Amino acid sequence: MALRIGIDVGGTFTDAVLVDNGVIAAATKVSTPADVNTLLPTVLEALEALRVTDITQVEQITVSTTLMTNAILQNRLTKSELYLIPGYGMKLDALPWPVPYQAFKGQLDFRGREVEALDPADIEQQARRLTREGSLPCAAIVGKFSHRNNAQELTFDQILRKNAPGIQTTLGHRWGGANFYRRALTAYLNMAGQELFAAFASELTRAIREKGYEAPVYVLKADGGVLPLEEVRPVDTIYSGPAASVLGALALAEETADSYLVIDVGGTTTDMGLVLGQVPLLSAKGAKIGGFLTQIRSLAVRSLPLGGDSVVELRRGAVEIQPYREGTPYCLGGPKLTPTDAMCYLQIIDFGDPKKAEEALMEQLRADGGAAAEAEARGLAQDILKAMTKKILAAMTDLEKEWREEPAYKIWQVLHPQRREQFPIWLSGGPAPGLVRELSEQSRRAVKISRQAGFANAAGAALARPAFSRTLHMDTVVGRYRIEETGEQGAWQGSKRARGEAERLIEEIMRKETIKRELEPDDWQKDEFDYFPVVDGYRMAGQIVRGSWSMPSGIIGRVKR
Amino acid sequence: MKKTALMFFPAFDWSLGETHPEREERLLYTQEQLFEEGVMDLPQIVQLNPTVAPLQAVCRAQALFPGPEAHDLEAHRIAAGSALVMGDAWAKKEIHNGFALVRPPGHHAGAVVRGNRGFCTLNNEAILINHLRSRYGYQRIAVIDTDVHHGDGTQNIFYHDPQVLFISLHQDGRTLYPGSGFAEEKGGPNAWGQTLNIPLPPGTGDEGYHYILENWVLPRVQAFQPQVIINSAGQDNHYSDPLARMNVTARGYGKITELLQPHIAVLEGGYSIESALPYVNLAILLALAGEDYSQVREPKGPQRAPVQFEAFKRYYQELRSQEEKAKANWTKRRVASLLDQEWVSDAYSVYYDTEGFQEARQEYIRPCAHCGGTVVIMSKLPPDETVSTLIRIPFQACDPCAQTGLELWQLLTEKSGAKHGSEAVLLQNQNSDEILLWQRAKGVTRF
Repeated sequence: MALRIGIDVGGTFTDAVLVDNGVIAAATKVSTPADVNTLLPTVLEALEALRVTDITQVEQITVSTTLMTNAILQNRLTKSELYLIPGYGMKLDALPWPVPYQAFKGQLDFRGREVEALDPADIEQQARRLTREGSLPCAAIVGKFSHRNNAQELTFDQILRKNAPGIQTTLGHRWGGANFYRRALTAYLNMAGQELFAAFASELTRAIREKGYEAPVYVLKADGGVLPLEEVRPVDTIYSGPAASVLGALALAEETADSYLVIDVGGTTTDMGLVLGQVPLLSAKGAKIGGFLTQIRSLAVRSLPLGGDSVVELRRGAVEIQPYREGTPYCLGGPKLTPTDAMCYLQIIDFGDPKKAEEALMEQLRADGGAAAEAEARGLAQDILKAMTKKILAAMTDLEKEWREEPAYKIWQVLHPQRREQFPIWLSGGPAPGLVRELSEQSRRAVKISRQAGFANAAGAALARPAFSRTLHMDTVVGRYRIEETGEQGAWQGSKRARGEAERLIEEIMRKETIKRELEPDDWQKDEFDYFPVVDGYRMAGQIVRGSWSMPSGIIGRVKR
Repeated sequence: MKKTALMFFPAFDWSLGETHPEREERLLYTQEQLFEEGVMDLPQIVQLNPTVAPLQAVCRAQALFPGPEAHDLEAHRIAAGSALVMGDAWAKKEIHNGFALVRPPGHHAGAVVRGNRGFCTLNNEAILINHLRSRYGYQRIAVIDTDVHHGDGTQNIFYHDPQVLFISLHQDGRTLYPGSGFAEEKGGPNAWGQTLNIPLPPGTGDEGYHYILENWVLPRVQAFQPQVIINSAGQDNHYSDPLARMNVTARGYGKITELLQPHIAVLEGGYSIESALPYVNLAILLALAGEDYSQVREPKGPQRAPVQFEAFKRYYQELRSQEEKAKANWTKRRVASLLDQEWVSDAYSVYYDTEGFQEARQEYIRPCAHCGGTVVIMSKLPPDETVSTLIRIPFQACDPCAQTGLELWQLLTEKSGAKHGSEAVLLQNQNSDEILLWQRAKGVTRF
């Protein structure tokens, strides 16, 4: 393995590592400025700081970026139209729509059969209005049950483009899971983020090339996989921070470790995830971001607004950790008391000025009207760590619960529930050393910490491998197949009873992707397919087949000690 | 916010046969419809997870002879367990109401179980109701069965139980399985009037159905002042049902749910799996969640017109007076073999259509003015003369009834069990929550 570079843009720091055959050869940290326009210079600054001597040896650069996450949360997306083909059913406004939409005629049923046709005149009129208004916006077009049949979306798109030349569109069926509402919001976000992401991608690529790197640039996705910058769907790159944390733990954990909880404590946030049998757990539901429920595949993670830099206040003797930071900790020259100051005062971390930490603690004690002597300062510092740990453990319990209580739809699943296991904790992040003792005491679990805890995320990004799955839904009676992850749909001309043939179809699709990504098919995880007999009258007419194969997310190699 | 729970257990790996109506495909399209609509993302919806019903809960409601191990219960125990999970969530006030969208169904399974009938082995609602009574102390429970088939199993279990009001609306038993559920069936000697059967003519339709609910069912439920309302929500009243002809629409079902306001609805039958279930299930769930169901429309409308409403109203008047006129007619007699006490007795047979055999039952009810009365059911599978016996001491039993039940248990298991040829005896002591099964080969098992 040659050189790989990982760059993780976090809320506080942007970290970069250079991994040379499993060894972290260089690591660097630069501050992440609050101004989003400086994201690109920051990434380049971090890259520069690595001082790579032979850049021709670098085979891959992977970036984990908060670009899309922040753009969505800070409402800085391009305006996009949202056109829905909802048909009958639950009223549209039963669910909250964070963006305006327009509904059009047309309807499919749950097997993708057309119930009501589109009205082309409606669409033409809409297109003419857009053209007349002189703006050529972008539009997301999403039909109910389009994941079963994309025909109405494709026709809608065609009519719209013909009558409003130059319009950019995203179609909902590309996020092929069931949930019209989430598909609509996901397609919308993708469309609305396209311009911003494309600009970032092209500038980043240009700048990296200007520095002489020829390595392909990859970007980390919410599901823990990586894709080349130019291939990724922008919206799939949200929450790559927590994904990097989980992969980082994988990269740094001992080889014997099999299943564990990952807790990554940063300056601004604490991210956590679950690794089961060396594979990061995927969430059963799509990610939620701001007011948007999406169909974006993501790892099962929790992200808390809680970190080493969080502002701490004392009110009537009670410790309150605020969900925000106001700069660096007091002991590092910042303005406010933080958990890092508590750790520094208790001398369980090796950075910061203990005198300043003491000052911050005393000041809070006095401001709260209490005694401010050494005993109180020590008590307060311990209370801060207790309070922080308690919050982390609550989120951790919640995450484990999500995993254990995933809905069961089969008898087999009910009879074989998830183990009630006490997973050990793998801790990383800058302030991590300060929490080991408290975490192990409160959770009564084994807590391990990485020696390179501060660079776990960047290492995770550097070593992340392409991960993908292909979930098949095939209806041999209607004669169609669909792939959930990519939105691919096609005619099925094989047997009505497709046992064996369905697996071969998915195998072929998986093989193509595996070769394209230069991976080994041995790593496939093959879930058993379900075959539902479809009965017409009293005869079996065919089958509905469902099943999924995947290349789980993970890392290439491992960081050596 | 008032939470509505959805327990979706489609048992995707269970069927009674590849082309049997009760097959894997049954809730497949319901899943597609519910998931695609995004109902799980409604803020008031919570999804619950199924579990296996403990045998204790099962045997508190039903006697499985010669013993539970003789039956294939896996799927049935999960369906029943799903109802229990929902019941617990409701009793603990975690949810306002809920829909147990589970299979297999249960309302044809009665007090004694010898096999599967009408696709049912365990009665999900009855197991739930007795669980709620024993665990949380509820004493007035109403069950309204809106499946198009008579809920004969549920009726059978609660026929002598004054604490349970059982109402079944169904297509007239002269034209549909299981052929029972006539207005004269009004309850046993200690629970007369606690069963209400409303057989309806084919073609009743939304208007007729709602009329019956508003004018007959709801006032009756209100007068009973139930603490818990359960709806056996069968979906075969739908106009697309292949067997029944009730002509109700999905929106009609939404309105039924809205009128009944059940705390817990449990799916029963309904095998129009493409044309009815996805829409009916959606409408029921939306109605429970307090959402608008008026836009839930099936792609193909009804092919037949409902019966004329005026004619329907005349039918209703007639039926009602017929029901009112029906009088209790019980004779007590002393039975030497049952402690020489006075009993009301009844003999009837039960047909198990899935496997095609007949069970003969002899039922004895202890007439009692103070409680539901101890009940004894002796079950045989002719021509085999071997008897299995259920002894049920009711919830809140009076002392003499409880005493009688316990003495009978002694008598039948220890002294004359072998002599009388009993194979198994189940003591369903609901009063002290003691469930004991004696089997000739194994002795006593405590659940």
